[in-house]
Amino acid sequence: MTVDISEYRGVWVFVEQHEGEAVPVSWELLSKGRELADETDEPLVALVMGDGVSHLAEEAVARGADHALLADDPVFEPYRADPYGEQFRALVEERKPSIVLIGGTHTGRDFAGRVAVPAHAGLTADCTELAVDDEGLLLASRPTFGGDAMATIKCPSHRPQMATVRAGVFDASEPLDEDVDTTTAVEEVDVVVTEADTLSTVIERVVSDVVDITDADVVVAGGAGCEGNFQPIVDLADALGGEVAASRAAVDEGWVEPARQVGQTGKTVRPHLYIAAGISGAVQHLEGMNDSEYVVAVNSDPNAAIFEHADYGIVGDLHEVLPKLTAMIREKQEVVA
Amino acid sequence: MNDGWNIVVCVKQVPDADDVTIDPDTGTLNRSDAPAVLNRPDQNAVESALALREEVGGTVTAITMGPPPAKAVLQTAVGAGADGGVLLTDRAFGGSDTWPTSLALARAAEELDADVVICGEESTDSSTGQVPPGIAAHNGWSQLTYVESLEPRPDEGVLVGKRDVEGGYERVAAKLPVVVAMEFGANRPRPAGLHRKIFAETEFEPVEWTAADLGIVDRVGLANSPTKVGGMDTATPVERERVRVDDVDELYDHIMEVL
Repeated sequence: MTVDISEYRGVWVFVEQHEGEAVPVSWELLSKGRELADETDEPLVALVMGDGVSHLAEEAVARGADHALLADDPVFEPYRADPYGEQFRALVEERKPSIVLIGGTHTGRDFAGRVAVPAHAGLTADCTELAVDDEGLLLASRPTFGGDAMATIKCPSHRPQMATVRAGVFDASEPLDEDVDTTTAVEEVDVVVTEADTLSTVIERVVSDVVDITDADVVVAGGAGCEGNFQPIVDLADALGGEVAASRAAVDEGWVEPARQVGQTGKTVRPHLYIAAGISGAVQHLEGMNDSEYVVAVNSDPNAAIFEHADYGIVGDLHEVLPKLTAMIREKQEVVA
Repeated sequence: MNDGWNIVVCVKQVPDADDVTIDPDTGTLNRSDAPAVLNRPDQNAVESALALREEVGGTVTAITMGPPPAKAVLQTAVGAGADGGVLLTDRAFGGSDTWPTSLALARAAEELDADVVICGEESTDSSTGQVPPGIAAHNGWSQLTYVESLEPRPDEGVLVGKRDVEGGYERVAAKLPVVVAMEFGANRPRPAGLHRKIFAETEFEPVEWTAADLGIVDRVGLANSPTKVGGMDTATPVERERVRVDDVDELYDHIMEVL
């Protein structure tokens, strides 16, 4: 089953939102989408779905989309895989985009498969690099097993070329300065799903403000070595004006919330300074922090792999090292003040 | 539904992640000696399937797709308590990406008249996480991904899943049949019972289905996989100073230097 790929045109970016608020990765994808659209000389289209979300369609245009498609209906709030998937699929079949980018969030990964299957589209999951080749073919790159190798995935004879993309790897687009009339570029589309056709119901949704560690200049991360006491991490992050992060081990133990997890199944961070304390340096973790400019490791095990991936390392118990370090930083701040 | 639910659990054989390391000097992956094991997130899926059977009754059938040696992961599931196992094995499946893989599993789940299909969150070798939604999409079934816990409501014909979402959780009621992806670490898998384990390793034989049995010969394999690997690059190892310092004063100085 192949398709006439010449019929497919345009770069689509899905603007993920919850309760009218866009998820940051949406704007990151929009700026990357702009680059790809310029290279292929095709339009950049933002797809906005939700209930009462025309402001996001306008914002997408202000941030660089040529056009925004708006599916506005109560059936789309809160998110559910089946109505979102059905609507998205209908739009893809009708309008035939060449490239579709979706954030690699739980929501994005939940419904990307719901679209790719019926469209028989190629879907590359959890990408960290995107480019187009000379023929305009999407080159979607993702870390493979453990993350020290990058596989580049192509989709030569199927459309659309879909990718979910990890948060934090691209810079978000900013709204344009000039006064563009963003409303004319917004097109409201027919909603093809009804509540009666849905297969699922959200009974309860409990979310709080989610921290965004991907933008921090300084990140202090703790791992299994914290042994349940994250206070030294919190104090050092506080003294340095940075964010607290964690390895999967610490998140699985419930010491830190999942939104702060760095690594293959968590976030990718690119701070100026990354301090890894009590983190052994599993490949899955390294993958999420390898773009940091400077890495400092604190670990009581002199053979911990993290030392091979750090600029400065100290062998010692983080419960002793970090409080001393924090005190020295605070002392200096007092002197300066 | 007094006779309980047909519960299908999808499992995968993968190289053991614990035995995979990176050579820091060359940046290459050492995994040649890694033994094949049950994908760890699938252990959570098996545990959920068994726990669900305890609540609603019915049967648990493990399925896997792979070459004949992949039978080993079915034995692991049966040893843990699954009632039976199906091996989808055929050269025609070779080179399948997530699209044909989820098709084969979806067709098998249909053959087994599944009420609930439970998968792990993702596989540790390819980590796409796209097979569970793919199975649901192929069959037009409902789906619950990133599930922390399950609450069956057999009288209503729905399964409620508590899903992990960014910044919190949600509880979603999904109509049967439903495909579930359990979050990695969502539960503590029970150890295999000794007698069951012996049975799994000595007497149990999986049912084997080919692509023809599932009626999908022309829709699987490399030729029907939309995605192609266009190239592999060793990620350039990030150059680090790898300076060891002896005391906190020295560490402090370095940190102040780079800040």
